[in-house]
Amino acid sequence: MTTVKNKHSKTPTGGGGAPEAGDTRPAGRPAPAPAHPTPDTAALRRRRRIELTRPWLLLAPALLVLAGLLLWPLIQVGKLSLQDYEVKFGGGVGTFTGLDHYADLLTSGLLWKTVLPNTVFFAVACVGLTIALGTLVALLLNRLGTTWRLICSVAILAAWAMPAVTGTYVWIWLFQPQDGLFSQLAGAIGLIDPATTNWFTERLPFYAIATLNVVHHGFPFVAITVLAGLLTIPKELYEAGMLDGANAWQRFWKITVPTIKPVFLVVTILSTIWDFKVFTQIFLMPGGNGSNPDVYNLGVFSYIEAFAKNDYGMGSAAAVLLTLLLLAITVVYIRTLFRQGEEEL
Amino acid sequence: MKRRVIAAGIALTLGLTATACGEGSGGENSATDGKGKTLTVWIMEGTNPDARPFFKEAAAAFKKKTGANIKVEYQQWATAQKKFTTAIEGGAGQVPDVAEVGTTWVPQFAETGALVDVTDKVEESGLSDDLVEGLKDAGTLDGKQYGMPWYAGVRSVVYRKDLFEKHKIKPPTNWKELTAAAKTLKEKEPDKVAFPVAGGAEMFATAFIWGAGGELATEKDGKWKSAINSPKSVEGIAYYTGLATKEKLSPAKVNTWTEKEVGDAWNKGQISMSIGGNWTPKAIIEANPDLKGKLAAIPIPGQDGGMSRSFLGGSYLSTFNTENKDLAWEFVKLLTTGKFAAKWAEQTNYFPGQNSELEKVAAKNDPLVEPFAKQMLEAGATVPKTKAYGEIQASQVIPRMIQSILSGKASVQEAADKAAKDMDAIFAKDE
Repeated sequence: MTTVKNKHSKTPTGGGGAPEAGDTRPAGRPAPAPAHPTPDTAALRRRRRIELTRPWLLLAPALLVLAGLLLWPLIQVGKLSLQDYEVKFGGGVGTFTGLDHYADLLTSGLLWKTVLPNTVFFAVACVGLTIALGTLVALLLNRLGTTWRLICSVAILAAWAMPAVTGTYVWIWLFQPQDGLFSQLAGAIGLIDPATTNWFTERLPFYAIATLNVVHHGFPFVAITVLAGLLTIPKELYEAGMLDGANAWQRFWKITVPTIKPVFLVVTILSTIWDFKVFTQIFLMPGGNGSNPDVYNLGVFSYIEAFAKNDYGMGSAAAVLLTLLLLAITVVYIRTLFRQGEEEL
Repeated sequence: MKRRVIAAGIALTLGLTATACGEGSGGENSATDGKGKTLTVWIMEGTNPDARPFFKEAAAAFKKKTGANIKVEYQQWATAQKKFTTAIEGGAGQVPDVAEVGTTWVPQFAETGALVDVTDKVEESGLSDDLVEGLKDAGTLDGKQYGMPWYAGVRSVVYRKDLFEKHKIKPPTNWKELTAAAKTLKEKEPDKVAFPVAGGAEMFATAFIWGAGGELATEKDGKWKSAINSPKSVEGIAYYTGLATKEKLSPAKVNTWTEKEVGDAWNKGQISMSIGGNWTPKAIIEANPDLKGKLAAIPIPGQDGGMSRSFLGGSYLSTFNTENKDLAWEFVKLLTTGKFAAKWAEQTNYFPGQNSELEKVAAKNDPLVEPFAKQMLEAGATVPKTKAYGEIQASQVIPRMIQSILSGKASVQEAADKAAKDMDAIFAKDE
């Protein structure tokens, strides 16, 4: 009975560390069989087989769903990126072109001078500002009484609930050259000449407006998640800190941040992924749909190649590049964070 | 099983009608008997401000004629091309039976094999001689016609008649006068845009390219080559963008406008004169009744008199290769001829695709219609008839060129050379 229980409690962890388990087992399995040809071998082998298959059996439904929804499209995009694809009635024809699309993509000046810098700098700015603003709002919410916390939460959730399309149009409207609120304000204080300024044609103001839009849309999620983390921190820690003479700044960096580091990890990774693949907010802005190549980001570039030029291969190659980029960032980020965690232990 | 029941039902009904009416209805051929069938129809949203009652009536008439039902699904211009492509990839089960297809999309869709070649059917119905030539040509590739021209539109110059009279401006007849008129308007009506040079409006710019005698691209031995950086084309682009960059007749905010924003500004009464489609005057008056009686139109003046050619665009009603294609053709015929064609043209302010119907419109002598009809019949132009040009449009090559000139990032020649390079890359890819 105890062994069975033991096995049950072991299997999930074994399944959780799937890649590791897969590495060690094939090496370990053949060893005992020839070394101890005892009558127990058959029973032992069966038990091992069950031990090996059960976690995968239990994981199978989830893995199948994930594979169908995530892996299959990913493989298809990967396949497309190696082809010249032509749409035909009832199913298109792909001609294998090898890595041509990647070669074209990686040697294009547009990618290095415009697309990648736009994507990366925009994402970095957005993630930084979203996390900072979200955390500040969370700290504020944490200090508020129940009623005000509810009111403020509802207000910021409204920003989050707003569809990206609607939000984008509101920001465009606010920054409308000459007639928009911000253009008028900036004109009134002599910052710009409204008649000759069009925010949307230059890279920097264009992305500044897009950043406002994305941060405004993204900070509520961070605020709510961080707030949930803050609520789990025992008050005693702060009391002890105060007794030791730590000021608010020190309490934040020495108590709050280390305690809810996993929460920051999650919101940063999610924000990074979201902000790297921003599409709607850029595409809908004047000039963002391809008429101003200075403001291309990877998402828009991929879309224009695939769905405007019908060059599906090139579009897919750009999409794969985006995926790899995100994967690399996420892996590096997670590794550094975990390493830091280990050192502290 | 279900199908057999339906078939039995049809047979039974046919039998009953045959006994009831004798030979009269027995002559119907089975292809156009649509009892129990439903045609899926894709129509673009926005052409007709309220298309629902129109299609309700058309569906009722069609049901009476063939017994088939019509299911209309409205599509957005901005996303339809992608949706069509996806459906075509999916095959007969995914595409609609009948769809409104923009003329510049026809080459792309026809090449995939999704559209039905209806040349013979048009001939049989005796319709081919009556079709507006430029429009018929737009949907005919290698002698095969892929649908029926449904409606067409063309852009000319729309202006504020009241302001012209007030400041004693004569409608311009050449480019010099156009500049002069716009300059006077800017001086006397400084709050209004004298002549919007809208960076996102491709078909505003093309009129001046054609007007200077230039071309977007030329075909030689079946191969297309861009001509947008030829001296004549560049002259046209330079004149058009110069209205904003040199003459300052169009403020910076207009640099990123598309035709939609120009229309919005008209509705707010912020424009004195602009390029505008034949569908715009009525829409403007509807949105801003104060402007009733204050609008007028003229064909786009030519460089030294005459007219500049302007894009003649429109929509086809095409049938897709589904099992209902014969029935679908009947519905196309119903909509593109006679009563329903005239009604659609009237409700949408577009021109019908048939000469006989177009003449009826022209005969009404409406001053807000006649200049457009003249432009359409005498100075209409079409864009290169190839799948590649659809891609050039979708990737915004011309707006990109205009916007880079307007924002001062490139000279006219540089921008035109870049556009020519972009175009040729797409032509080369599709060969």
